[in-house]
Amino acid sequence: MGIPQSKMEETSTSKKFTTSSQKRRRKINWLPYQFLLPTILLLMLINFYPFLTGLFYSIREGSLIQLEDFVGLDNYIKLLQMPEFWNALQFSFLFGFFGVAGSYLIGLVLAVLLNKDVWGKGFFRVALLVPWIIPSVVSIVGWRWMIGDQHGLVNQLVGFLGMDPINFLGTENGAIFSVILIKIWRSFPFMMVTILASLQTINTDLYEAAKIDGANRWQSFRFITMPSIKMISIICCILMTIWCFNDFDTIWLLTQGGPVNATENLIILAYKYTFTKSDVGIGSAVSIFSLLILMILAVIMLKFQEKD
Amino acid sequence: MDKNIRRKKTILFISLTLVSLLVNLPIITMIINSLKSNSEILTSSSFFPQQITFENYQHLHTKTMFWTQMGNSFIVTFFGTLLSILIAAFAGYAISRFRSKFLTGFSRLLLLLQMFPIILALIPLFIMFRNLGLINTHFTVILLYTTLHLPFSIWMYKGYFDAIPTELEDAASIDGCTGLQTFFRIILPISGPGIAAVAIFSFLFSWNEYLIANVFLRDEQLMTIPVGIQLFMQQYGTDWGSLTAAATLTMLPVFIFFLFVQKYFIAGSAAGAVKG
Repeated sequence: MGIPQSKMEETSTSKKFTTSSQKRRRKINWLPYQFLLPTILLLMLINFYPFLTGLFYSIREGSLIQLEDFVGLDNYIKLLQMPEFWNALQFSFLFGFFGVAGSYLIGLVLAVLLNKDVWGKGFFRVALLVPWIIPSVVSIVGWRWMIGDQHGLVNQLVGFLGMDPINFLGTENGAIFSVILIKIWRSFPFMMVTILASLQTINTDLYEAAKIDGANRWQSFRFITMPSIKMISIICCILMTIWCFNDFDTIWLLTQGGPVNATENLIILAYKYTFTKSDVGIGSAVSIFSLLILMILAVIMLKFQEKD
Repeated sequence: MDKNIRRKKTILFISLTLVSLLVNLPIITMIINSLKSNSEILTSSSFFPQQITFENYQHLHTKTMFWTQMGNSFIVTFFGTLLSILIAAFAGYAISRFRSKFLTGFSRLLLLLQMFPIILALIPLFIMFRNLGLINTHFTVILLYTTLHLPFSIWMYKGYFDAIPTELEDAASIDGCTGLQTFFRIILPISGPGIAAVAIFSFLFSWNEYLIANVFLRDEQLMTIPVGIQLFMQQYGTDWGSLTAAATLTMLPVFIFFLFVQKYFIAGSAAGAVKG
């Protein structure tokens, strides 16, 4: 896990390139930079340039057609005064929290079950990964029918129980519930796979020893399993939080942020302002703002990886 | 005792079967619906079709741009994957084999770039590519797919290259190979599993991607299939037959591909996540 700094310096290659003749040492070895050239060019064009331009757009007024004058921090001030923005920020956190918690719990339970000696292990592993590998559009088509209001399976079940059909996508709470549920459905396989990989590195002797010492199953889970997967769990949860914050597909394809902005996160807000309302300044300001939040999360993640 | 274990195993097996079914229910329902006639989808409440029909697929085949869009998806996926495999291999090799402050910083930056909100890049890129007249071209989308997938691919390659003993390169350099020659003749040919892993992830990423394709491909002729399907939802809002048939066909290549490569995929995603 991570990149232990000490290990890096130990590799024999590093010695090879630093212990060659004195002349070589003073001269820069250009080879790695030749290898990096295409990557650096692409990253400049697709990441670095847009980042800087986005920063400039966020302090300007204008539409997609015509960018106008610099307005300083006006866009940010406007943003902070918009109830829409606070709503989107709040929903981003709500979506992130429940998305991560739900997918982690389900992933953990399934990983523990799949780590046992069970028939058809390979089959289950593949079957349970399906939600993660199929295109987002396909999952949304499938789910739209499931929770649709006429003959959707869920409402048929609801009707069977003698209740009125639920309008999942038409009400605010229904829509919030639906997008979170589907996000969890799409994300738990990732948690499952990584936790399972981490479970498989635990030495089984530990469990035997605990059993002899009289530990029950909960105790061995609590004191052997959980500590062993703690680090990977933290990293996966931060990673998943970042992915939830960045999620566009699930929400846009299911609700387009509606009804009445109920399921709008920061990314949807930025998209709407830029591409439907053609207000590039506000759109960029929202993007920069979400970049800030994501950077904080990313730095926390790197710290954890280092610690590991 | 033995009986007890057997019973536990059976319970575990049955519960996992139920969970797998439940998890895949939206997909199963979708496939089954695609085999019903449109009127049956809307009126009947039975789960299984009364009569299996392929009329939705026929409609897709004859009346829509489905195959064109499928072709577009193949084009962007193929070139996106090809470029990723090549460019990421160079960079992965550089950060695996060489050491300098710049390279350490650079590999850190790559980890951070994975968190980059794509929407931030899309706004300026949309304006830039529009000014260059490059909206509605597959080139733009391929370029974006390749780049956005680079950080992850480079880190995967790094893992594989780290495992290749450096003695091979030492031997090659004694034989008079230059650095580039060593890379192409020695390293690349033996990093098959690394290339496979990167190819799998690039393929899935490019095939499934929606947001970028949605922003940059506005012409129905040029759309990739995820964007094409979304059009079905708007234009033919009630046409569940075509919608489910199109979604089923879109999923099919991914699914078949995945069945063949699932072992590498699982190993790769676990390793990728662990490294960031």
